[in-house]
Amino acid sequence: MDPINFVILASILFAIGAAAVLLRRNAIIAFMGVELMLNAANLALVAFSRMHGEIDGQIMAFFVLVVAAAEVVVGLAIIIAVFRARQTISLDEPAELKG
Amino acid sequence: MVNPVLFWIIAAITVIPAFSLLFARKAVHVAMSIVLVMVGLAAAYITLGAPFLGMVQIVVYTGAVMMLFLFVLMLVGVDQREDLKETIKGQRWIGLFTAAGLGAFLVSVVGRVTVAVSDTPVQGDPDVVAVLLFEKYVLVIEVLGFLLITAAVGALVLTHTPRLKPRRTQLEVQRDRVLAGADPVNKPMPGVYARHNALDVPALDPEGQPIDHSVSRVLKIRNQTQEGVEFRAALEDPSRKEGDR
Amino acid sequence: MTFTTPEIAWAPLAPLMIVLGAAAAAILVESFVRAPERRRAVQLLLSLVALLAAAGTAVVQWATLDGAGTVVLADMVTVDRQALAWQVLILVFGVLGTLLFASRTRAGEEAFTPLGSVAPGSTEETLARRKGFQVTEVFPLALFAVGGMMLFTAVTDLIFLFVALEVFSLPLYILVALARRRRFLSHEGALKYFLLGAFSSAILLFGAAFLYGATGTTAYAGISAGIATAAGVDPLILAGAVMVIVGLLFKIGAVPFHSWTPDAYQGAPTPVTAFMGAATKAAATAALLRVVYEAFYGLEWELSWLIWIVAIASMLLGTVVALVQTDLKRMLAYSSVAHAGFILVAFAGFPDGALSALPFYLASYGLATMGAFAVISQVREKAEDGAVLGEATRLGQWAGLGRRSPLLAGAMALFLLSFAGIPLTAGFIGKFVAFAAAVSEGAWPLVLIAVIASAAAAFFYVRLIVLMFLTDVPEGQEDAVEIEFSPYARIVVLVTAALVILLGIVPGPVLSAFENAGVLLLGAAG
Repeated sequence: MDPINFVILASILFAIGAAAVLLRRNAIIAFMGVELMLNAANLALVAFSRMHGEIDGQIMAFFVLVVAAAEVVVGLAIIIAVFRARQTISLDEPAELKG
Repeated sequence: MVNPVLFWIIAAITVIPAFSLLFARKAVHVAMSIVLVMVGLAAAYITLGAPFLGMVQIVVYTGAVMMLFLFVLMLVGVDQREDLKETIKGQRWIGLFTAAGLGAFLVSVVGRVTVAVSDTPVQGDPDVVAVLLFEKYVLVIEVLGFLLITAAVGALVLTHTPRLKPRRTQLEVQRDRVLAGADPVNKPMPGVYARHNALDVPALDPEGQPIDHSVSRVLKIRNQTQEGVEFRAALEDPSRKEGDR
Repeated sequence: MTFTTPEIAWAPLAPLMIVLGAAAAAILVESFVRAPERRRAVQLLLSLVALLAAAGTAVVQWATLDGAGTVVLADMVTVDRQALAWQVLILVFGVLGTLLFASRTRAGEEAFTPLGSVAPGSTEETLARRKGFQVTEVFPLALFAVGGMMLFTAVTDLIFLFVALEVFSLPLYILVALARRRRFLSHEGALKYFLLGAFSSAILLFGAAFLYGATGTTAYAGISAGIATAAGVDPLILAGAVMVIVGLLFKIGAVPFHSWTPDAYQGAPTPVTAFMGAATKAAATAALLRVVYEAFYGLEWELSWLIWIVAIASMLLGTVVALVQTDLKRMLAYSSVAHAGFILVAFAGFPDGALSALPFYLASYGLATMGAFAVISQVREKAEDGAVLGEATRLGQWAGLGRRSPLLAGAMALFLLSFAGIPLTAGFIGKFVAFAAAVSEGAWPLVLIAVIASAAAAFFYVRLIVLMFLTDVPEGQEDAVEIEFSPYARIVVLVTAALVILLGIVPGPVLSAFENAGVLLLGAAG
C-alpha cells in the first residue's frame, strides 16, 4: 500500500482538529484540536519522509514535538490563569469591563 | 510498502476517537480519546520506518502532554460543562462547513498527486537521527533551547504564587483554635462500647448523659443518628434503678 | 554514519546572539537579585544595553558587509541586507518597547500586574501589591520575543521558520495576559491570541509538510527549484504555499485571519500592545517577503488572487469596522487590520520595489503605532476620590485633550495623520512607495481601492483629532481624566514623533538605505 494513504489520513485528522478549534467553546477541547492538527502535520512529514527515502522529515517531526510541548505548557498556564480568575474556561463568557 | 491491514487498523484507531473532539460532551472523554489517537500515530510512525520517533511520540505525547491535559482538567474540575448555545447565529454551521470543506480540499489535493516512493527506505534509528540532528539542524536545536526557557518562565509567571504571608507554625495554629473555643484535645469518640459500637450512637459521659458532639456532623445532617433516645429514656425513667445498668 | 562538524558562520549572527544571550542571562538575574526594585533596575539596564549593542552590531555589519550577504548555515539561515534592515527596525521597536515596559505612573504603578498567578481583585493580589511585588520577567520575555523576530527575518527554511515563529509568539502570549487593570479582558485577549496563534502555526506547519512532500526539501531555495521542475505535484505545491502564506497572514492580522487582533490589542497591557502591534507586523511582513520572493516567486500568477482578495477584504473591513468603534485601542486594532491590507497591496504582482518599500512602510507604521500607544498610556481615568485608574480609552474621554495637554494631543494628532497618510508625515512616504511598487507591476485597480480606503480611513483619524482639539471637555467631566507623567513614555512619544516628522520631510537617506536592502541573497543553497 502506498504511504500516500497516510498523508490522506493526516489530512482528515487535520480537518477534524481544525473543526474542533472552530466549533468548540471549551478552551481545553479547542486546544486539543490544535494538538491534533500539529500531530497530523507530523504524520504527513513522516509519511513523505518515508516516500523520499530520507529521514529529514522525521527530524522535523522531532522539532514539532518539542515546539508542541512548549506550546502546551504556555497554553495550559494561560488556561489555568483564566480559570483562577473566572472559574470557567468557556470562550464566550461575557467579559467584565473593570478588573 | 505498508501492510494494508495495518493501515486500516491505524486509520480506525486514529480517526474514530478523533471525532470525540467534535461530539463528546466531557473534556475528559476527549482527552482519553486523544491518548488513543496518539498511540495510533506512534504505530503509524513505526510502520513508516521511524521507530525512534514512534517511541518518543508515546513518551512525550501520551506520557507527558496528554497527562498534563488531564491534570489541568482535574484542576479546573472535570465537570466543567460546555455551554453549547451559539453566540453568533449559524456560527456552528459556518465552522462545520469550513472544516469539512478544508478536509475535502486537502484529501482531493493529496489524492490527485503521485509522489514517487523510494525503494530504499531509511530506518530512523537513534544513531542516524542524532548525526543529522547535530549536523544540518544544529541551529534549530539551539534555538529550541530558548523556546523551552520561555515556556518554563512563562508557566511560572502565570501560575506560581510565592509565599505572601509568613508561614504559621503548628503551635500558632493550635493556639488560635483553642482561643476560638475549640476543644483542646480530640472530640470524644462515638459509640457505647458495651452495647452499640457504632458511629451513629453518641458516647456517654460519666453520668450516663449522651454527648451530642461525639457523632459526626454529616450523619446528623442526613438524619442518620440514634440521638441517644434510649439512654435519655433510661435516665428519665424513675422505675429503673441504679443497679439495673 | 560519521559526524562532520557543520560549517557555521557565526559572526553574522552576533546581534541575535547578543539578544538571546542577554535574555538567558536576564532569567538568571531573576533568581539571583531578590529585591524587586533592584531587580527591575538591573533588568531594564540589561535589556537596553543588549538591544542597543545588538543594534550597533547590526549597523556595523551593514556597513562592512561585502556582497549581498552571508550564508550562516546552508539552507537554514542567511543574513543579507534585507535581514539586517529588518533586524535593526525590530531592535528599535524593542528599545522603545522596553522603555514603555518600564514606564510608571506618578504613584509608581507599572502597567503589569504585581503577581501574574493570583486572581484579579483577590486579597492575595492586594497583599502582593502592598509587598511591592513586580513581574520583572517581562523584560527577558520581551528580549526572547525580539530575538525570535530577528531570527524570523533571516531564516530560509520552513521548519526553522515555524520554530522562530513560536520563539517570538510564546513570550507575547504570556505578556498579553499580564495587564495590571482589567485582568479579565487581558486573560481573554491572551487566550484568544494563543488559540488562534497556535491554530495558525499548525496551518503553516501543514503547508510546510505538503511542500516537503512535493519538493523533498523545506529550504526556500530547494522549494523554488522544485516549483520550476517538479511534475505531477502541482496541487500539493499550491496548497502548501497557500497554507504557509495563510499562517503568516494570521500574524500580520489580515482579514479573514484578524479575529484575534481587537481582543489582544484591547486586553494587553498598553506597552505590550505597542510592541506587539509594531514589531510582530514588521517581523511577519519580513518573513512573508522572504518566503514569497525566495520560494514562491514562480507561483506569482497562482497566488495573486489570494493576495488581491485578502488585501481588499482587509482594507475594507478594517476601515469600516474602525469607523464604528468607541474604544480607542479597538479602533487602532481595526486600523491595524486596514494597514495589513495596505501592506499586502505592495505584494501584488511581486514587484521588486516591495523589498525596499515595505521596510520603510513598516518603519513609519511601527513608529506611529508605538507613539500612539505611548500617548494612550499617559491619558488616565480618575476616580471620584482622585485616585488614578487605568487608561481612558473611551473616545468620549478624549474630548478636549488639546486643552489638557497640548503636547500629547499634538503628538497623537501627528501619529494619526501619519496613519492616514497625510503628506509631510512618514506614513505618506510609506504609502507612496508601497503603492508605487504595486503600480509598477500593473496592479493599479488594487491601488485605486487602497487610495479610496485610505481616504475613508482618514475620516475616523480626523474625527479623533477634531474631538481632541475642537471639542470642549464635557460638563462635569473636567476631573474624570488625568494626564500622567512618566519620563520613559514621554521619551518614546518625543522620539517617535520626531522620527515620524523626520521620515516624512527628509526620507531620502533612509529610503536609499532600504534601496540597498532590496537585494536578497538568492540561491543560497550553499
